[in-house]
Amino acid sequence: MKSSATPRRQQGAALKTPRKAAAKPLADKPSQRGARSQQTRFSSRLRAWGRHHRSMAWDSFQRLVRYPLGNLLTMLAIAIALVLPAALWLTLDSARLLDAELDESATLTVYLELSTDAAQAQRIEEAVNAEQSVLETRLISAEQGMAEFQQSLGLDNALAGLESNPLPISIVVHPSSIEPVAMQQLAATLEAFSGVDEVRLDLAWVERLRNLAELGRRVALALGALFGLGVLLVVGNTIRLSVESRRREIEVVMLIGATHAFVRRPFLYSGAWYGVGGGLLALGLLGLGNHWLSLPVAALAASYGASFSLPQLDVTGSTILLSCSTLLGWLGAWLAVTRHLSSIRPK
Amino acid sequence: MIAFEHVGKRYGGRFEALAHLNFRVARGEMVFLTGHSGAGKSSLLRLVMRLEKPSRGRVVVAGHDIAQLHASQVPFYRRQIGVVFQDHQLLFDRSIFHNVSLPLEIQGVEPREAARRVRAALDKVGLLHREKALPIELSGGEQQRVGIARAVVNKPALLLADEPTGNLDPQLSADIMALFEDFNRIGTTVMIASHDLALIAQLRHRILRLSDGRLVADEGAA
Ligand SMILES: Nc1ncnc2c1ncn2[C@@H]1O[C@H](COP(=O)(O)OP(=O)(O)OP(=O)(O)O)[C@@H](O)[C@H]1O
Ligand SMILES: [Mg+2]
Repeated sequence: MKSSATPRRQQGAALKTPRKAAAKPLADKPSQRGARSQQTRFSSRLRAWGRHHRSMAWDSFQRLVRYPLGNLLTMLAIAIALVLPAALWLTLDSARLLDAELDESATLTVYLELSTDAAQAQRIEEAVNAEQSVLETRLISAEQGMAEFQQSLGLDNALAGLESNPLPISIVVHPSSIEPVAMQQLAATLEAFSGVDEVRLDLAWVERLRNLAELGRRVALALGALFGLGVLLVVGNTIRLSVESRRREIEVVMLIGATHAFVRRPFLYSGAWYGVGGGLLALGLLGLGNHWLSLPVAALAASYGASFSLPQLDVTGSTILLSCSTLLGWLGAWLAVTRHLSSIRPK
Repeated sequence: MIAFEHVGKRYGGRFEALAHLNFRVARGEMVFLTGHSGAGKSSLLRLVMRLEKPSRGRVVVAGHDIAQLHASQVPFYRRQIGVVFQDHQLLFDRSIFHNVSLPLEIQGVEPREAARRVRAALDKVGLLHREKALPIELSGGEQQRVGIARAVVNKPALLLADEPTGNLDPQLSADIMALFEDFNRIGTTVMIASHDLALIAQLRHRILRLSDGRLVADEGAA
């Protein structure tokens, strides 16, 4: 901060630093001070500073309470601006789109030639496992493959009439890196192994999911930034009006030696209170929305035979939301006051 | 304490409110400033407060050219000057007590000590019994005295007063001047702009007479 009210030793003490040594110091305080008394001076100034902070925090809170309706509207505007990006973020989070979990599904399937027998398959699996970029492998015999296939179709015996098993033995490979390029390289390497018929990798949908997640993340962040700017503007405008309405007071205190920091302080606290109020309202709105949507969502999920509950902000999330809104309120106030103060000159 | 060296002040580039001012005020001196309305008395005091910078020359206070003070130092400079403003400059939504304690609050004086000093200052101007009143409930003269109490509450080294007795009856004016003399006696440098020629002639202090922004007389200098 440019000029803090913290005990900077009166640099402007022009009157207390007489040029002529013979001149009697005019100020009532002695010009010679021991280190000890300087220390108590410092601590007393620190106390004074803390006192002013407390009294301004309280004073600006009382000002809020004095005009509840107008201030509530300001806070509601802040809350709405916060709810939208927060809700989007929560939705993405619950869809696991922001999670690393979907990476588990990134596997390659190595199909062996039909003529391969179990012992050969074993050897090929060992060779695949020895590859550096392979994390884990799982051998799936032709019978297993058939069983899984039937199960996935939900038709237990439909294929039982088949004379011979048309499925090859396959190996499911978990690569150590799920980067598309690395996976493609690994696929090419494995394809060159003898006995390997084909390597499939399901990159397409993994890619799609990733892109979707990235898109969601970016939209949420952009919305967050945009609505954060909105909060700044709302608070800034409110504070601008309140600076204007207290212009006279500001002029007077500047006439009698108030620093900019002193003048700014009550407004910064007002801004922070707006932020706190807006943040709390936003949490309330999120909770309300959750409550309102939870019933149909649960019913919907049940009809698919799944259980799914709407995501809620946990303690960390709530703390982050509240800190962000407080900080935004403070910052909005700071910008507004600083911009405005330069236009106020004591008359 | 105060030295004006070839000081000139123009407003808006053309109009010369003050010109060719050269004088010194010693530490502990008490000086009156007179002149017709518009002569430049308030402008001169505003230069000392560094509400304005001179367009020409230097204003030196306690050895410092105050035009050189950095913006962040100006508040600390002003805290050492008590000023009684021509238009009082009181806060109308605060009690008399609060108005007078404002300079102490700005300087972070401990509340109990501040209250003691505020009451002492209000007592000096005879308004202790009105400490809870709002300025609007006071007469013009009483408001002026509140302004005086606020100017002296932190025992400044330099006291500037712009028409401090403008709204007061002769008896009260004399009392207030006596109050300024008391402060002067304990070492405060005092500079008072005033129209009240009869009153200041009685008091036998140095008088600087301004006319159209120029110093035309410097009487009774020690
Ligand atoms: N901010 C300003 N802008 C332009 N002109 C100004 C400004 N302040 C003062 N003046 C002019 O400077 C001249 C001196 O004004 P000043 O207020 O110093 O007079 P004064 O001696 O204090 O008068 P009074 O006794 O009426 O208070 C006046 O002519 C006034 O119009
Ligand atoms: Mg004037």
